[in-house]
Amino acid sequence: MSAAGEQLGGRAILDPALAPPFPVAALAVLRDPQLRKNVAHAIDVIQGKRARLVAEKPDWQALRAAASWIKDEALRNLGLYLEEFEARCTAAGGVVHWAADAAEARRIILDLLREEKASEVIKIKTMTSAEIQLNPFLEAAGIGVYETDLAEIILQLGEGEPSHIVVPALHVNRSQVREIFARRMGIRDLPDDPQALTAAARQYLRGKFLRVPTAISGANFLIAETGSVAVVESEGNGRMCLTLPRTLITLAGIEKVLPRFQDLEVMLQVLARSATGERMNPYTSLWSGVTAGDGPERFHVVLLDNGRTGILARERERQTLRCIRCAACMNACPVYRQTGGHAYGSVYPGPIGAILTPQLEQLRHSQSLPYASSLCGACFEVCPVKINIPEVLIDLRAQVTDRQRRRAGRFFDPLYLGLRAANLIFARAWLFHGAQWMGRMGLRLFTRKDGWIHALPGVGGKWTETRDLRGLPQQTFHEWWAARKTGTEGTREQGNKRAEAK
Amino acid sequence: MSASFSREVVLDRIRRATPGAAASGAALAEAYGAQPQNYIRCGAMSAGERVELMMQRLREYDAEVVECAAEELARTIATQLAASGRWRFVAPPGLPSEWLAAGFDWRIDEGLTAAEIEGAEGVVTAAFCGVADSGTIVLHHSASEGRRVLTLLPDWHLCILRASQVVETLPEYFSRCAAREQGSGVRDQESGNEGTREQGNEKMGTEGRWTREERTKRLPSLVTWISGPSATADIEMTRIKGVHGPRFLHVILVKD
Ligand code: SF4
Repeated sequence: MSAAGEQLGGRAILDPALAPPFPVAALAVLRDPQLRKNVAHAIDVIQGKRARLVAEKPDWQALRAAASWIKDEALRNLGLYLEEFEARCTAAGGVVHWAADAAEARRIILDLLREEKASEVIKIKTMTSAEIQLNPFLEAAGIGVYETDLAEIILQLGEGEPSHIVVPALHVNRSQVREIFARRMGIRDLPDDPQALTAAARQYLRGKFLRVPTAISGANFLIAETGSVAVVESEGNGRMCLTLPRTLITLAGIEKVLPRFQDLEVMLQVLARSATGERMNPYTSLWSGVTAGDGPERFHVVLLDNGRTGILARERERQTLRCIRCAACMNACPVYRQTGGHAYGSVYPGPIGAILTPQLEQLRHSQSLPYASSLCGACFEVCPVKINIPEVLIDLRAQVTDRQRRRAGRFFDPLYLGLRAANLIFARAWLFHGAQWMGRMGLRLFTRKDGWIHALPGVGGKWTETRDLRGLPQQTFHEWWAARKTGTEGTREQGNKRAEAK
Repeated sequence: MSASFSREVVLDRIRRATPGAAASGAALAEAYGAQPQNYIRCGAMSAGERVELMMQRLREYDAEVVECAAEELARTIATQLAASGRWRFVAPPGLPSEWLAAGFDWRIDEGLTAAEIEGAEGVVTAAFCGVADSGTIVLHHSASEGRRVLTLLPDWHLCILRASQVVETLPEYFSRCAAREQGSGVRDQESGNEGTREQGNEKMGTEGRWTREERTKRLPSLVTWISGPSATADIEMTRIKGVHGPRFLHVILVKD
């Protein structure tokens, strides 16, 4: 997928192959107080609602355990469940396609649209289509793409990028939305209250829903035993896209499959609560293939691998594929809260993005992402499918380091050399003591009378630039211990007495 | 890459990545016996409490709810329609004729076009089930519940829900699905108010044990779960009612 962003025009900031490293990208956001305010406000609202609704569920932990078990079972037997899904979906009148990577998925979809002679397509928000950079590809092929989710319209018309997987435009505030809508929809006196802005979006899309005969959707769940697809949404734009067009194309990652229809009794309970802090989202639709007289006449599912099987193969990383994209982890993340989503340089931001993106990229890109975390564990605590994100982060850090270790340039890297030297020294007591002695002697030169070091030269200066360092004591713990050895036998009272006698 | 080639490539990668996978479909059912189900499956409320909760939850979603006795239903529908100030309604073909109150313009959906449905000011339907815990109305799109588009385009939806269709928990809805023929009308057994929750959970566990073939045949092929009117919170997390789906959801709860 490298260089795809350039070829496809735009969208480069969320292309892992082109995005700057996390700390660089984050700086821009940290300097934008309005954006940080918008992000913090949105997150506070969702977090508050989520906490309230989770607290009202006495069986929340049992639901999490079940949800995580179900996804694990689906992954354990993924091949069988996908084949079952394919068979049932086909029997119900659907057509199932398999795409090994993003390029193939894009081509399958374009071919289907060409067959339909489609010049326009309406879309329900799908992160997977953003992952494969579908919109710019279709537009380059001359097909008009209309996003229909309110947040996606804001981004599409404002030429912005998603910064969250559930509320992608949370970094845009109402006056910014007003400006975008007024400009792009040509409405002159548009007030900036959300009610009026929402009404404008309804107006803008109504005609398209009734006119455009082809739609693209994602999937929240695929059900193996019935061959059905489930889509969870709020606005009704999903229901429009799923029922009005003549042809529907659903793009789904292979990890979206659930073994049984009944598994939804767990998934639907945890998803809405985690995602938007609601007991249930306004609309969830489920359909199997094609139903005569109700909805599309032609239905295609594109099953996408694009790096997922690589994740599946790794024991510790496999849990990444349990993700149901609820975004609870990013809402809970202290790093995301400060940086927002764009800094992650991927359509999947936050803690899940920090583990998913580098793996989908097979660590060729996004190597800084596993470090975009304080490892505080808040993401793991809220995750409805119990993905131990910190554990995966640490494992990925080790993989990143292993890769770097293989590079020759490391011999000029002061950090690498320093750690090598430390490794040598810590392994030998005499070297360690020698180094301690030398360090103490050396630091004495910089220690002021007050016992503090205020400035160091060279690499050490990076530390003292922002804080002082306490001077080393005259005696190390080892020396102190050896000196008081006589006092270590007998009771404390005896020792005390001995000390007094001295 | 040809289509079937990619299928084999992906499936082959999956097989290599999952060496512990079951050899065949039969082994899958067994694996499923081990699923932890110690979450609450069976409700603990009385029928009355259940309906109370359902109404409360619906109102929290800004839905309008009225209760009525079975024999008053037709009259209650007429009152609701009149109070809506609307006149042109659509209805699914399986709606009982006595629900089609006189004095309004009714279009029965026997293949109406989207434009015709869009032209209606409201729609009246039955439902398959109500889930009190989350205030969810479930449609299986049978003849009395209507095609999916019917409850989507009109701006006003009046839904008739019988008290006996209301379950307390979402898992109870799912075991009702498995325990009946799909879309076969309105009444069902009472559940959940006898015995302890633990006994109930156990009973529900055994009810659902169909062979995979049987289950697949019995399960619904179209479902819409509706929890309140269409809404968005995409602009500054302010909840706005009514984006594309019906802006107004009215429910009549029939005591039966
Ligand atoms: S990792 Fe967990 S919390 Fe984060 S989006 Fe996925 S399911 Fe939700």
